[in-house]
Amino acid sequence: MDGNIVGLPAGYRDFMFEDAESRRHIENEFASVFSSAGFREVIPSAVEYLDLYARGNQGIRERAMRFLDRDDNLLALRADFTPAVARIVAAHIREMPRPIRLWYSGPVFRKTDRHRGQYQEFSQIGAELIGGDPPAADGEILDIALQSLSRSGFPDACVHVNHAGIFRGLVNSLGLKESELAEVRSAIDRKDMRALGVRMEELGVNGSVRAQVNTLSRTVGDSRSLAAVASSIGNEESRDALASLESLASRLPRWRDRITFDLTEIDEMEYYTGVMFTFLSPAHSVEVGRGGRYDSLMREFGVDLPAVGFSFSMDRLGECE
Amino acid sequence: MKNRVLIALPKGRLYETGMELLGKAGIIIPPAAGGSRKLVFPDEEGRYEFVPLKPIDIPVYVESGTIDAGIVGSDVLRELEADVYEPVDLAIGICRMVLAAPSGAALPRGGSLRVATKYPRTTERYFRGKQLHVHIVKLDGSVEIAPLLGLADAIVDLVETGRTLRENGMHVVEDVARVSAKLIVNRTAMKMKSGDVRHLITQLDTVVYENPGQQN
Repeated sequence: MDGNIVGLPAGYRDFMFEDAESRRHIENEFASVFSSAGFREVIPSAVEYLDLYARGNQGIRERAMRFLDRDDNLLALRADFTPAVARIVAAHIREMPRPIRLWYSGPVFRKTDRHRGQYQEFSQIGAELIGGDPPAADGEILDIALQSLSRSGFPDACVHVNHAGIFRGLVNSLGLKESELAEVRSAIDRKDMRALGVRMEELGVNGSVRAQVNTLSRTVGDSRSLAAVASSIGNEESRDALASLESLASRLPRWRDRITFDLTEIDEMEYYTGVMFTFLSPAHSVEVGRGGRYDSLMREFGVDLPAVGFSFSMDRLGECE
Repeated sequence: MKNRVLIALPKGRLYETGMELLGKAGIIIPPAAGGSRKLVFPDEEGRYEFVPLKPIDIPVYVESGTIDAGIVGSDVLRELEADVYEPVDLAIGICRMVLAAPSGAALPRGGSLRVATKYPRTTERYFRGKQLHVHIVKLDGSVEIAPLLGLADAIVDLVETGRTLRENGMHVVEDVARVSAKLIVNRTAMKMKSGDVRHLITQLDTVVYENPGQQN
């Protein structure tokens, strides 16, 4: 540092006038959509026990900015909103009538690789619907997400939708050990279809299941492509998941042409239990947010409630405006 | 330009074979374009645009989405641990990444092995996987000379024929990884530019795997 008091540490930045105004504008638009839909704001503490991030959301704990308090407790700057929201529900509002509708906005902090041009502080804005069942709650949250994007200057925003149960159902019928499964998952995640085929064959996965994995790994399209997949899938969990995606689409006729079913994306599949969203801005060719259903997270906080939510990157939105 | 798929080509040992493979896949880059000083040039159809870059820079560009896709060696890709799709193993630029040491001298055991390499993260991962602790010295070139000069006991580096190793009095101790060139694709580009990106994937996949006779 050498006495450089006007400099910033690597990975941080200031937002000046126009940038600050554009972020404020986006936040206001989101806030107005959220509040007219009955969502109420929470401002979680900026500091948490590091152990908050031990649960579920993988990778976050390792990247959290950690420090010790007076009593040598291990603390972290907020590294993710969703666990904080889960904690808030468990701590303050267990008895509120369900479903509980919350929204939040603010900075999160994560360590990033050196010299990759990434920031270590970034801003998120999002909403969570806790205690609501699919498909109604999923439809409500997706509707709010697309509405708020549309209102804040992204009228062409679209969403890629998948369901964790489709692949999970299939995985259970693979009959593989956890380490073997990790290899299969990694090949799908890299979209390396040849390696996937070869590895499944080596592992002795039967031909019909292999064909189903291949079908899933190629399916991107509208409701018709879901129907095509459903007819070729042999297990009940996957078929139920496909059916719930169809029913989600039928609830949102207004957004029909904005929804693409992308069954190939299995990133973060361990974290989500149901529907999964990736929000995109075609005009800018960027991903602006993610979301999905995480029914097991609340249970870790002692409250057994289903939950679904999304969060947008304010930094991406601000850059696009 | 935002909507045309932008593809990074690796300068160096993969450049010519990469262009050749694209040509066989029906994506023809005019011969003049590669040699000219233009930074970005289109293929004949005007469907894609190409930008030659240093291989080590390609994963960062593609991960960030600044560039939609690229051709890059799996050595570089693993070293940078980039979060990108790798839909096609192009089966060009095949070689081995190996642990090599001076012939005739026993490798020190325990925690005192010093390894020189251009691939510190890959090397660290490899030895961690074997539950061995080593000291890694990161170098940028002529790694094989490090043991001769006494900077390290062994090296982790690429070998094609093994000739360089032999000339420097070294031998392969064990294989670390098989290396080959991959097509990599940005996660968002796969969704937002799916038509052209999928065309690229299918064409390359077909040329590599379904007409192996056409390959050299």
